[in-house]
Amino acid sequence: MFFRIEPDNGVAIYEQIARQIKYAIANGALRPGELVPSVRELAVLLAVNPNTVAKAYRDLQNESVLETLRGEGLRVARLAVERCRKARQRLLEERMSAVATEALQGGLTEVEFLTLVREVWITVSGKETALKQRLDRD
Amino acid sequence: MDSIFEFQNVTKRFGKHLALDQVSFRGERGQVIALLGENGAGKSTAIRIMLGLHTLDSGTVKVLGLDGQKQGEEIRRRVGYMPDRPALYEWMTVREIGWFAAGFYPLGFQHRYEELAQRFELPDIPIKSLSKGMQGKVSLALAMAHNPELLVLDEPTSGLDPLVRREFLESMVDVAATGRTVLLSSHQIGEVERVADVVAILRKGRLILCEPLEVLKSRVCEAVVTLSDMETVPPDLAGNARLIMSQRIDRVWRLYVRDLDDKGRRDLVADSNHADVKFQQPTLEDIFVACMTSNTGYFEAATESPKELA
Repeated sequence: MFFRIEPDNGVAIYEQIARQIKYAIANGALRPGELVPSVRELAVLLAVNPNTVAKAYRDLQNESVLETLRGEGLRVARLAVERCRKARQRLLEERMSAVATEALQGGLTEVEFLTLVREVWITVSGKETALKQRLDRD
Repeated sequence: MDSIFEFQNVTKRFGKHLALDQVSFRGERGQVIALLGENGAGKSTAIRIMLGLHTLDSGTVKVLGLDGQKQGEEIRRRVGYMPDRPALYEWMTVREIGWFAAGFYPLGFQHRYEELAQRFELPDIPIKSLSKGMQGKVSLALAMAHNPELLVLDEPTSGLDPLVRREFLESMVDVAATGRTVLLSSHQIGEVERVADVVAILRKGRLILCEPLEVLKSRVCEAVVTLSDMETVPPDLAGNARLIMSQRIDRVWRLYVRDLDDKGRRDLVADSNHADVKFQQPTLEDIFVACMTSNTGYFEAATESPKELA
């Protein structure tokens, strides 16, 4: 629930909140059946307008990620995890699309682009493995 | 729904100085309205008028259904006000000032004030011994203690450290979350961007803009156009797009545009003289600066009230 909100990064605040809740569900930080904070609580915690939180929650309800629990508030829906994983995938796809567009505009060929992707993957996964090994050792 | 406050064509002069010029805007219940503008733009004047502290040269102002010129005292009893410079008797202690102020309000004030003082962790010592941030909190507690329907804050966080500013923001948000209305004038545009529903911008006494923040941000975009051949006039804009501000360095034009639709964007990209076009979503601060430095006559062209600048 300790989301990072950047009002000036081009993404609407309610969208940032909705995305981070979806990520939290996809990662298991928020589990089906668990309650989310009330609009008031989250608005104060994040220091953002309550209407913004309300909009994020409404959107998440419309997407069946959150559902009402009568008398208690909103909770994570049972089937939300799969939905959120898909949403996370879609967002990843969007970002990759932007990168691919940039590569295309920069004049890269398909081969050059895919080579670059492979190199980056190797570097990143190498770092992840190394980090994991260090953590396992300690 | 009745508005919480409403200015209609308010004009106010101090001697020869025109402080407010035909200002019209309103706030609805439960909104957070941010009033932005340079120093001397008229923000504090507008706020004092809202509290019934000035007579008007023309126009009307209504607050909580009351006449701002005739029912000022009643307004001040029902509105919470935090002035930009704390108006506190510094020799009083935190507790004493609460007791003192309670005399102006209905029963329950002192109790709520003390609850707030506790929440803000204010020690019961003379106000002059408190840090600036804590003095600000006393002022805020006094403004909130009678649970006002409208909370008016005049630059509440100026000069305060980030921790205290954050606490103020949280309090403002909490007030709004309980359905009450907040009007704040502020230079902290980043903070405003987080909490405002509606943004109103004053420039030299004129209200050049007043609309929901969401709408403002979605309808204004920044376009950076690099020309192949330099031109000293800004690129043409198609359709309903209007230029708010333009700036040029050599062959590169920076444009702040209102209502640039997809076709307009495509047209800019397709122009044979445009070597490169980049679009960016500006921050509220960018938009504010663009409005302040508007050089295209965009704001002068409006003869309607700024809300109709659609």
